[in-house]
Amino acid sequence: MRRQGLLWLNAICSLFPATLLASAIVEGRVELPKSHSAPVQAKRYEIVTKGGVLSTQPPLAVVYLDGVFPLPAPLPVKEVAQKDLTFVPAILPIQLGTKVEFPNLDDAYHNIFSYSPAKRFDLGRYRPDERPIPTQVFDKPGLVILRCDIHEHMRGLILVLNTPYFVMTDTNGHFRLNGLPAGHYTLKAWIDSRTTREKPVELKSGQTLHVDFP
Amino acid sequence: MKLHTFSLCLFACTACFEQPAPGLIDSNIDTLFNPRLTLFLDAQIGSQIYFFAQSRLDRGFDPSDHGAQVRLDEYALRVTPWADGRLTVQIGKFATVVGNWVPRHLSWENPFINAPLIYENVTPIQDKSAPVSPLYFIYGPYYYEKYAFNPVIWGPSYASGISVSGQLGKFDYAVEMKNASLSSRPESWTVTENGFDNPTFSSRFGFRPNQAWNLGLSASEGPYFRREAESTLPPGRDIDDYREFVLGQDASFAWRHLQVWAEFYEARFEVPHVGNADTFAYYVEAKYKFTPQLFGALRWNQQLFGTVSDGYGHNVRWSPDLGRIDVAATYRFTPHAQLKFQYDFQHETTGPGDDNHLFAAQFTVRF
Repeated sequence: MRRQGLLWLNAICSLFPATLLASAIVEGRVELPKSHSAPVQAKRYEIVTKGGVLSTQPPLAVVYLDGVFPLPAPLPVKEVAQKDLTFVPAILPIQLGTKVEFPNLDDAYHNIFSYSPAKRFDLGRYRPDERPIPTQVFDKPGLVILRCDIHEHMRGLILVLNTPYFVMTDTNGHFRLNGLPAGHYTLKAWIDSRTTREKPVELKSGQTLHVDFP
Repeated sequence: MKLHTFSLCLFACTACFEQPAPGLIDSNIDTLFNPRLTLFLDAQIGSQIYFFAQSRLDRGFDPSDHGAQVRLDEYALRVTPWADGRLTVQIGKFATVVGNWVPRHLSWENPFINAPLIYENVTPIQDKSAPVSPLYFIYGPYYYEKYAFNPVIWGPSYASGISVSGQLGKFDYAVEMKNASLSSRPESWTVTENGFDNPTFSSRFGFRPNQAWNLGLSASEGPYFRREAESTLPPGRDIDDYREFVLGQDASFAWRHLQVWAEFYEARFEVPHVGNADTFAYYVEAKYKFTPQLFGALRWNQQLFGTVSDGYGHNVRWSPDLGRIDVAATYRFTPHAQLKFQYDFQHETTGPGDDNHLFAAQFTVRF
């Protein structure tokens, strides 16, 4: 009888995500870099420089909890669209193993490719109405820089993270990460392709921790 | 907003030629190293005004073994009053609107190192002096002094002038008035060298049924002699009496990793003492990406020449017909560096039947 009760308790617990059972919160602010001007589109020859540092415009950061976490059930499919000759969103943080769709919402061809070590691919040219929409599965952590072979000024970023706990800041740098497991971790703030700040954190169940990245 | 882009392009070619180097390679030696540094400037003021310029430090507009020189090859101011792109006015020194090769002629976009045959094959047409007789025109010294002679279209033809262009739904148009004909040499493109006394008018009308296809019709008409040729023309005639007419048809297709382009040109030159000299040239070109970083390209070119009277009652071809096949492979190491290899085989299908081979490599770095 007692064993049967434990089995019931186990079954009920399994219905709740672990994050709700041991839920900690981290909030704070990331000091974001100043806005920079958008790249000029070279309308005839499409050769545009980016100055070497890749970041979002306006600047945004991705805050994530680094650690070893169990792999979740199948991940939802994410999307990076090409609209008005830009990538939307300009930065997409995803968990390792996520499939991303790349719909073309413009009335022109795009040719998305990446030479990033985290994911090398080239989707070629495809029409907006073509189905299935080309996808890629991102199975290696790191920063993936998206480019368009036709529109040289286009840049997009996919940050592949080995953690389910991440959030984008707002344009003022504020963030709030909910549902974190208790324990000792490293909290990281990805700011641009060259800058990732980190801080060790001790999370306790039911506690809200305030962390700033100056 | 301003933007500077540097492009360093190293071109080296080895050609087995008992004859002069193929195309517009201006060299008498059979190997050539031709480094080129290109500086681009693009500036956008608001959404309506755009300015671009291209300057180059190299050994000549066409690959040559001459000394270094710096040129401002392109500069243009563009005004687009309406956001839908129905009208754009551009003034300056810039590439021609004719055809579909010009928008992809720079090293990074061109899957080959050189241009299609029509843009670089020198013909017996000469813009600095008129032929003294039909025989001189047909059998003259162009074979050995080829830089004194002209192709049908000289590269991207960065002549000076004004253009009006725009897009209306699936159709687009571009009309330009330039100071030099399509066949004119680079020295004729600057306004200080050549004014607008004898302008050339060119146009292209395009139709894009969907993203995959792009079809175009081009036309160009204008006098092709330079001013110094005036004294060699028949009495009572001036350079405005001898014109170059070009009709062009172009098509392109792209889907996934395949791109195909084709251009067809019919050209006529009015030649003193000779009459009309007609030629037809075309190419079909395909590029395929095998991997994200490796792509190959294949191009078949052909140019056929009409006949003219030799002055002794015979009609003879005014230049040998020829065909050329180009094969190239490109590897992109990064989004900023690529290495290209190319082999061309050219064969004269009439006349002496000469062959010509070209091996070329090009390394491009851009920042």
